[in-house]
Amino acid sequence: MAMFQVWLVSTLLSAKPIGRLMHTRWGWPAAESIHFLGLSLLVGTILLFDLRLLGLGRRIPIAALHKLIPWGLGGYAANLVSGSFFLMAEPDQYIYNPAFHFKMLFMAVAGFNALSFYLVAARRTMGPGAAEDVPRAAKIIAATSLLMWVAVIVCGRLLTFYRPGVCGPEGPGFLAYCIPRIRR
Amino acid sequence: MNPFLLWLESTALSTWVRESPSVFAFPAILSCHTVGMGLAAGINASLAIRILGAAPAIPIHEMKRFFPVMWFGFWLNAISGVVLLIAYPTKALTNPLFYLKLILVAIAVALVMPIERRVFGEPGRDHDPALGQVKKLAIASLVCWAGVIVSGRLLAYTYTRLLQGF
Repeated sequence: MAMFQVWLVSTLLSAKPIGRLMHTRWGWPAAESIHFLGLSLLVGTILLFDLRLLGLGRRIPIAALHKLIPWGLGGYAANLVSGSFFLMAEPDQYIYNPAFHFKMLFMAVAGFNALSFYLVAARRTMGPGAAEDVPRAAKIIAATSLLMWVAVIVCGRLLTFYRPGVCGPEGPGFLAYCIPRIRR
Repeated sequence: MNPFLLWLESTALSTWVRESPSVFAFPAILSCHTVGMGLAAGINASLAIRILGAAPAIPIHEMKRFFPVMWFGFWLNAISGVVLLIAYPTKALTNPLFYLKLILVAIAVALVMPIERRVFGEPGRDHDPALGQVKKLAIASLVCWAGVIVSGRLLAYTYTRLLQGF
């Protein structure tokens, strides 16, 4: 695992132009602004869909509400790009950060959960003749989705507080970025 | 030195939020502020893009069912925002961007009411030609919420003073 992390950090660091861009005066703040705008778009659309599956706004056809999802995916794409920019600029701040590990875990669960909706419940909830109320499986998927996205946001916010320390004798020696410096 | 801000920064609440190593102090309050942002800005954005023509099969007036959740997010942020302000009053109040953020929040909230009145009023107004005028309000709402998010985000990079005496 440690070797994998070292490899990951050095691979991510090889995207030097991105790192340079992010370390300009407004690079980081601009990427963060995009990340938060994307978050709002993603949460705003996915959340409404989940709430509808859970029974709020029953008069809205689920298939109609689903047409908002591509907008949420747009927000998701913006966050994937801005997020990978953070990662390429300061990889060790994320790769060794427990809040980041949990964020990735919850994102993966949210992803598989969304996939399971399309495999298990999409036809019964959005197909022709779908009832106002949805099967229990769809409700469990919706509740999981809500919970996971809130967890992703919270872990994202916690990143700052669980950052590994700076390089140096008192800093963590396991950082790929630190090891060569300390040896030198 | 401002004696009021100096006093505020010395209160137990301010000190606890700022200095407590507990994850339930600053980190949790900041997390609440971000979740609330997603709810308030996100649900308003969903309504705005529906008004602008996305997902036309959604009966707009039914979207009012989601608005209690939007207001929950809004009040969560009003409260967590005040607590963050109590923790770092000098940091926020000496930054012009903070006042811009507050003005944008005020406009965004003021826009909710005319939008609600026009689209949540009665069913069957989805294809109302009057909806055309609401589109301008929807665009203004999107711009304001985006401005609130960006200016809020930039507060961390533009402050000149952190605390009284610093």
